[in-house]
Amino acid sequence: MDFTLSSLLRRKGKNGALLAVYTLIVFLLASVLFFTHALRQEAALVLRDSPEIIVQRTLTGRYAPIPVAYGDRIRGIRGVISVRPRLWGYYYDANFLANYTLVVPGDNPPKQGTIGIGAGISRMREAFEGDTVGFTGFDGKPRSFTIGSILSDESQLVSADLILISEPDYRSLSGIPSGFATDLVLKVKNPKEFTTIAEKITRLLPDTRPIVRNEILRTYDALFNWRAGVIIVIFGVAALAFVIFAWDKATGLSAEERKEIGILKAIGWETSDILLMKFWEGLAISLTAFFVGIALAYGHVFFTSSILFVPVLKGWSTLYPEFRLVPFVDFGHLAAIFFLTVVPYTITTIIPSWRAATIDPDAVMR
Amino acid sequence: MKNLAVSFITLLTLVAISADAAGLKARKPANGDKCPVCGMFVAKYPDFAAQVQFRNGTVLHFDGTKDLFKCYQNLPRYSPGRKQGDIVAIFVTGYYSLAPIDAYSAWFVAGSDVFGPMGRELIPFQEEADAREFMKDHKGKSLLRFKDITPAIVKELD
Repeated sequence: MDFTLSSLLRRKGKNGALLAVYTLIVFLLASVLFFTHALRQEAALVLRDSPEIIVQRTLTGRYAPIPVAYGDRIRGIRGVISVRPRLWGYYYDANFLANYTLVVPGDNPPKQGTIGIGAGISRMREAFEGDTVGFTGFDGKPRSFTIGSILSDESQLVSADLILISEPDYRSLSGIPSGFATDLVLKVKNPKEFTTIAEKITRLLPDTRPIVRNEILRTYDALFNWRAGVIIVIFGVAALAFVIFAWDKATGLSAEERKEIGILKAIGWETSDILLMKFWEGLAISLTAFFVGIALAYGHVFFTSSILFVPVLKGWSTLYPEFRLVPFVDFGHLAAIFFLTVVPYTITTIIPSWRAATIDPDAVMR
Repeated sequence: MKNLAVSFITLLTLVAISADAAGLKARKPANGDKCPVCGMFVAKYPDFAAQVQFRNGTVLHFDGTKDLFKCYQNLPRYSPGRKQGDIVAIFVTGYYSLAPIDAYSAWFVAGSDVFGPMGRELIPFQEEADAREFMKDHKGKSLLRFKDITPAIVKELD
């Protein structure tokens, strides 16, 4: 073991370069996996409580507020357990160049004049419980609210930019008249009835558009898959370069190394001893690269919010207040990276050594 | 004639049972509960689950209304040692509510385009109006009550 390490150190430059490239590859691979996995988890958290069917009203193909009275007609459709109008929307904060999501919660909304804000907004505006913040209404007049609470962090993707607001405050800020809502959410027990109910709604109210939960799920999935795909392509090129590099380095032993093996054999080492040494050597390099790469990737994704991927992955939310993903690590993924990198590398280093080690030492040294 | 006699006896037992059934609650199938007719695990298909409760407290779980009727009509074959007279309650899962409803008062639609874990099914409803609307939406062929469901009807669904 000692001998292995010192022999590694002797060829510092070559092994160092290999280690660096290796670490980079593990880092990239792990970052992609961590990031997409964490995004999926976030989406799953979002969708866990999402309604079965959302009904929006469209006017010349564009979204429009929906009359609350539509809900009574939809409630008559069989299979619909309940209908609830929702009030929500976005607010663009020109001073901080950020977009907030305004929501009137269905149960225990904040008192009129107070709001609950997400951790992201709190961080950015340095506003905390009890502070007063101002927003500009649809008519250009400013309105001020007291912060009643900071929302918990369970899912940052959703709650980071969230503002919970009371119904009268929401209407006065957004200008949506009473009797209208942003959309209607339906509770439907039997998933087999989703499409039938959606069809009935479009027949009953032709100016509406029902959105079924499965469609939302599919959209999210397509989005994440596409973005992960872009990264994977970039990564694929890097991985290919690495494979060529590693193959070259690991399979072709330099003359110097052959000579070393020859000498070791001459002084009485067995072939198995040499193989063991080479095995340790390969393992030392790949394990170091593996752990350093994983640690870097973890830091990259969960502490620096994947700064390297931001341009590719978060194209849809350039105005979004900065959010941090809640760390989710899947050990299956770690194992996958391990078997894709450490194991093949270690094996490829052994074969050429075995070939060199079985040659007559005399022939090698001469 | 024989059919008539059978349905008459069924009716009699029904009257006797309905009185007993009051106050009994449907029980959740455990993960290991298997349908005595087809052998499938019932807990995986809660949307179609059905059950028969006996006087001694035992419960038979089914993965669909069809299998429930198969067993009910031929207890000696699927559950030897039990008699129709020992049944105290039968529950099926209402299609719209996905909640257990009393099978004796339920309405069943046969021949619809909604399939259960065992293929074509009798789809149960609490209300007649629900069942009629479902027939329109899902091309149901016939509307039946518990006593109307004969072995011939069940066989037709296979």
